[in-house]
Amino acid sequence: MSDPVGNPVNTPPNNLMPDNARFQLRGWHLALVAALVALFLLFYKGLWGDPSAIPTVLIGTTAPTFVGPDVVNGSTIDLAQYRGKVVLLNFWASWCQECRIEHENLLALYGQFRSNPDFVMMGVNYQDKLDDARHYLEVYGSPFQHVRDFKGTISIDYGVYGVPETFIIDKQGVIRHKQIGPIVGPTYTLLTDKVLPTLLQGAAAPNAS
Amino acid sequence: MTRLALSLGVAGVALSLAIGAVITAPGPVAWAAQVDETALDDQVREIAKTLRCAICQTENIWESQSTLAAQMRQIIRERLQQGESPEQIKAYFLSRYGDYILMKPRVRGWNWLIWAGPFVLLLIGGLLLSRTLSRWTAAPPDAGTADSLTPLNEPSRRRIEDELRSFDK
Repeated sequence: MSDPVGNPVNTPPNNLMPDNARFQLRGWHLALVAALVALFLLFYKGLWGDPSAIPTVLIGTTAPTFVGPDVVNGSTIDLAQYRGKVVLLNFWASWCQECRIEHENLLALYGQFRSNPDFVMMGVNYQDKLDDARHYLEVYGSPFQHVRDFKGTISIDYGVYGVPETFIIDKQGVIRHKQIGPIVGPTYTLLTDKVLPTLLQGAAAPNAS
Repeated sequence: MTRLALSLGVAGVALSLAIGAVITAPGPVAWAAQVDETALDDQVREIAKTLRCAICQTENIWESQSTLAAQMRQIIRERLQQGESPEQIKAYFLSRYGDYILMKPRVRGWNWLIWAGPFVLLLIGGLLLSRTLSRWTAAPPDAGTADSLTPLNEPSRRRIEDELRSFDK
């Protein structure tokens, strides 16, 4: 090194840093790097997945009961009368495209389990016009009953934020499974092969009336 | 003359804003008169503002136009009329939708990280910085005294003197 005039500069000896301050890899360095990597992975993971998916808090809690009019004939449907049975509740609407996608599967699922006396399947019509809902059921078929969620109280009781959503309630009246989005592909086989057979084999609670 | 045009434009905008302000000034007054704000409306609004619309998740259910938000507001109203407290109503929505429904997450469990995390990181960063800085500025143990420094060589000394002389002039 030299200054602009060309004179050798009084180069500082390499003693600005004491020898013992030279970099050493310490435990907390590793911990810091690990923490940063973990944070990075967390952010990276956040790039994918559905940001609108709300983790449900209802699994394992008692299913809210409801009373409401049947979509087709207006008679009163009361969920409480099905205590002791496995209930599949499907929230749907006529304006919902994904509901149409899963409808065939719902019919097939009902066909598979309808002979079981412990199985009940029920649709909940969500934020819909009555005429549209009836027309939908006429066109696409509805071998099981549908309750009309007139003021959104049923849906909000079940923490529903979009359709389709499907809940499975066990014989004790506890919500055991929730599916957000259409029942297609692996979701369908999960229900038909695992969730429903397991719950249907389960005994009803002794205090079930 | 772009500058003239620009200043004319600015003046025009300012003028029209002023006129607009004068014209619309009575507007909000008339509007407020139309809205019948009862104490119940007030309470509904205060609760609805703390709850997130589950569909349009950046909005609270007071601002949201969605049907779900309207139904939720109706439920708040009915529950208030039944004599429930705002805390009970919020607890109800919380039990249905989880922490997600709150515009402001509760400070508990892992949520502590959200609130304390930035400050913890700031603290760690500050400690590291002060450590590093103190190490940089620490006096080397064998810092030279006046005697131990290499004597100035002749050309440098002459140059310094020249510079000082020219500075005096």
